[in-house]
Amino acid sequence: MPQVTIDNKSVDVPHGTLIVEAAKQVGIEIPVFCYHPKLQPVGMCRMCLVEVGTPKRGKDGQIERDANGAPVIAWMPKLQTACTTVVSDGMMVRTDTAQVADARRAIIEFLLTSHPLDCPICDKGGECPLQNLTMAYGPGQSRFPVESKFHNEKRVPLGDLIMLDRERCIQCARCVRFQTEIADDPVLGFAARGRGLEIVTLSDPPFDSKFSGNTIDTCPVGALTSRDFRLSARVWEVRDYPSVCAHCSVGCNLWIGERDRTIKRIVPRENEAVNEIWLCDKGRFVHHFATSSERLTQPLIRRNGDLQPATWNQALDLVATRLKEIQQHDPNAVGGLAGDRASNEDLYLFQKLFRRVIGSNNLDHRVGWSAANVGADLIRLYGAGIGTNLGALAHDTTALVLGADPEEEQPVIRLRLARSARVFGATLIVANGRLTKLAKYAKQSVVYRYGGESAFLLGMVRAIIDENLENIEFIRARVANFDAFKTALAPYTVERCAELSGVNADALRNAARAFAKSPDALILYGREAMFAQQNDPAVASGIATLLLITGHVGRANNGLVALYPHNNSTGAFDFGFLPDHGLGRAQVESKGLSAREMTCGKVRALYVMACDPALTSDSLVGTQQGESVRQDGFVKPEFLVVQDLFLTETAKLADVVLPAQSFAEREGTFTNTERRVQLFRAALKPVGEAKPDWWIVAEIGKRLVSGSNLKLETWDYAHALEITEEIAASVPLYKGMTCAALAENVKLPRPRSGQGNPSGEPAQIAMGELENISSGKMWASVAESDASAKFELVWKEPSSQYSVVSNQYVLAVARSLYDGGTLASRTKIVQPRVPAPYVEINSQDAEEIGIANGARVRVSFDARVIQVSARVNGHVPPGVVLMANNLDGTAALPMGARVKIEKV
Amino acid sequence: MAFPDIGALIKGMSVTLREMFNPPVTYQYPEVRRPLYPRFRGRHELKRHANGLEKCIGCSLCAAACPADAIYVEPAEQTDAARYSPGERYARRYEINHIRCIFCGFCEEACPTGAIVLEHDYELSYYNRRDAIITKERLLVPPPAPDLSTPRAMPDPGGLYSAIPPVKGGVEQ
Ligand code: SF4
Ligand code: SF4
Ligand code: SF4
Ligand code: SF4
Ligand code: FES
Repeated sequence: MPQVTIDNKSVDVPHGTLIVEAAKQVGIEIPVFCYHPKLQPVGMCRMCLVEVGTPKRGKDGQIERDANGAPVIAWMPKLQTACTTVVSDGMMVRTDTAQVADARRAIIEFLLTSHPLDCPICDKGGECPLQNLTMAYGPGQSRFPVESKFHNEKRVPLGDLIMLDRERCIQCARCVRFQTEIADDPVLGFAARGRGLEIVTLSDPPFDSKFSGNTIDTCPVGALTSRDFRLSARVWEVRDYPSVCAHCSVGCNLWIGERDRTIKRIVPRENEAVNEIWLCDKGRFVHHFATSSERLTQPLIRRNGDLQPATWNQALDLVATRLKEIQQHDPNAVGGLAGDRASNEDLYLFQKLFRRVIGSNNLDHRVGWSAANVGADLIRLYGAGIGTNLGALAHDTTALVLGADPEEEQPVIRLRLARSARVFGATLIVANGRLTKLAKYAKQSVVYRYGGESAFLLGMVRAIIDENLENIEFIRARVANFDAFKTALAPYTVERCAELSGVNADALRNAARAFAKSPDALILYGREAMFAQQNDPAVASGIATLLLITGHVGRANNGLVALYPHNNSTGAFDFGFLPDHGLGRAQVESKGLSAREMTCGKVRALYVMACDPALTSDSLVGTQQGESVRQDGFVKPEFLVVQDLFLTETAKLADVVLPAQSFAEREGTFTNTERRVQLFRAALKPVGEAKPDWWIVAEIGKRLVSGSNLKLETWDYAHALEITEEIAASVPLYKGMTCAALAENVKLPRPRSGQGNPSGEPAQIAMGELENISSGKMWASVAESDASAKFELVWKEPSSQYSVVSNQYVLAVARSLYDGGTLASRTKIVQPRVPAPYVEINSQDAEEIGIANGARVRVSFDARVIQVSARVNGHVPPGVVLMANNLDGTAALPMGARVKIEKV
Repeated sequence: MAFPDIGALIKGMSVTLREMFNPPVTYQYPEVRRPLYPRFRGRHELKRHANGLEKCIGCSLCAAACPADAIYVEPAEQTDAARYSPGERYARRYEINHIRCIFCGFCEEACPTGAIVLEHDYELSYYNRRDAIITKERLLVPPPAPDLSTPRAMPDPGGLYSAIPPVKGGVEQ
């Protein structure tokens, strides 16, 4: 390791370290503008100039030494940029000399000749590196007359979300580099020359990227600002509360910036294991629902046919009385549905109410999904090892991404997987029934026929066995039934699987080799694979077999990651929100009713928390075993209680409506898609009389147990975090995940991430300090926690379902990051980003139908006819069409249905 | 020893006697008012530019400087169609709580545009506490001419291109 001496402080750093990074290690701050630790250095701003010298070597190659034996240093005649110079052994660096100070002063004076210095009206003011460095290193006075300032255009909309101020730009290219290197949406670029150099957007629509908000953070000046937060408060007036994004299952860490009881802005909170310093634009901008005027503010009770305001006591008493009545008659006549957006505390108490007090297993969270078990066991057994970091999978790791579209569904995971592949050289194998954006980074991209998922997996298994690549040691020690499995597999040759799945046999073999030979390997499977799994049990067994025969379980960067649709889907599985699984994903003896059964009139009382079964907009409704199954409309049970933020379709039918608090108003924990449990804190005061979900459930619990022989105290909670403690003490999976443990290893206050302040100098956090909050904890899968656990291979016959019928297409259902969902539709600023409904179709099929890109077509299936415009491209294979769910008029699309397409 | 302290009494009365012939210092307020020093710090005013635009640009620096946390500023974005002040930002709400204010003048000192000035009105009494929160309407001085009021359509702010007038110290002399 080279040793470098910076201002007389020596430090050993790895090869390839830049001077600016080495300096941080000895606590010396070198001012920078264009350098950013996450981006490639470019040396554009010259702010980081330092004096650099290396030991002088004589003709013999030996280091020359002076009289005292110290090496003679050859100082470079000119200053060097610390952000591009790599250290070498014996290097000397001086950052505290007059020459360096002079250079810094000159660079700042020069930058300010074309900078408007309108800090008082600039959104960056208060957390601006240019301000800070000018104060620290600037000249104080300029020698240039103020009239000679270079002026440029202000207030240039750079898309729907970002505003550009051309005068303020210091041409550091951080935004351009972020878009190119990290987001890989190269939609920004430079135009013109010299002082007139301008940032321009190259895409149509302008700044077309799902990560555009991050350029606001990385811009070291106020050139790029948020059109949402824009000029609505000063940053030091905004109070930041640590929270976790509630929009998708990545669970990005963020700060909620609050002022005057509203959310002013959301910025990323650094967590290298989850979101690094990034957020997608949905997480950043979709927050206006929290303070929407449509929020429910008080309990409602149906009287004479109308929902009328009531007090909490009236509403809760009514709920308790009616539930008790029905429960005493038959506990199984009471059902509970909870959305997987609710926090762990809410879910835990809800199931406790049902299992311990009401005595019913009628619990489900998969509203609109079919009754199949979507991977609860797989994750419990083979979930990826603790310490898995999807953003830093190394070159010896292979990740098989099956049936997922993270670009739209888990954007930050897409960004991080792409970085793993591009920067760290991890091998991605992307397999789906269509091409997704992630396929671009894949060493191997496989497009199978929808319905051929299991054949694809078995083909890989077979290829591994054929080439003797299985992990014999692991199989001997931990896997049962291998020989029987091999016998059953015999008729399925690689060629046969290739034919069944529509994948080339060589592609199957290549994928199998990469997966089996790689020291570390993961499978990430997404919504489309889960859908396949519910029709075809061989998908789940195929995934398990692939992991087991290669021994890729139970260690970091090995195992299975389920890419679930919602922020707390994992929590919902963990707390047993399945009719056949209980707390901690254990199987239960007496199976309860599924969501579908509960909503079609099989229960007398239904308690609905944080979901909207009357508007089943989930695409997993639809086909089963190849048959088109339609959701029989929602049947209102005798007694319906709905607990939600808004008067949803279900709430409109309810007998009692209870107003709940949004995630921004309360605290709790969410478990993200990697099973990482993360704590979040309250940022807002409650809206109206809204109460947290757990409080409402606990109040009902108290009323139900009073007078029975159950203990009342077990329903007495002062705070959500008391429930977190109870979970940590009583739920095996969450053992030891106390608030203290979840809040470990993070020091706060600290610099807010990504705010263009790579120097590490803490940004001022206004008004009071922040509470401790953590980077989260993952629970261990069985493969990891129990080294002696044996696993059995299960043989399931693959069933390929989608036979192609002429003139009909298989409908694949995608999700769009911005859609017509409850939360996004209440945020005006992202509305232009919501795509118009479309159908993607292969050019070959398009030719047959006689349509061109952009043509209007009529899509008909199951007595529904939708008119949309066609996108003709190569993303879907022939015979498949793709539509995004939940856009204008495309709610509740049935995945896998056969559709007809006609020209309009 | 009937009057042991007669000396002190005489001394005191002599002061009284002398003052009886001096002219009185009491002002017959409110008929007569005491002249104020030019830099007297009384009730705040929000000033305007000569073209009627508000000097205040809603930057909240006064609020940040205020030791009593007496100022509340809610900024917003403006356009040429409805212009309040030079630049993109203006104060949608501006309030000073005179119950909290200690008349230190830090706000005036912090203001980059010379918008907030502590003027000479010291008659600050209210019948209720709400009235002591002086809103922007009450703080803002009237426009120099009726047609120069704000907000108004102003496609070209002319010399006021920048939010902060390019004058030394930011204050027009
Ligand atoms: S807009 Fe900001 S990030 Fe982009 S080049 Fe200019 S100063 Fe740098
Ligand atoms: S990737 Fe998901 S969790 Fe992260 S900010 Fe976006 S929506 Fe939120
Ligand atoms: S005079 Fe002083 S106390 Fe009063 S508002 Fe101004 S800064 Fe605050
Ligand atoms: S400092 Fe001046 S310009 Fe800024 S908000 Fe206060 S009064 Fe307005
Ligand atoms: S040149 Fe080194 S930070 Fe910009």
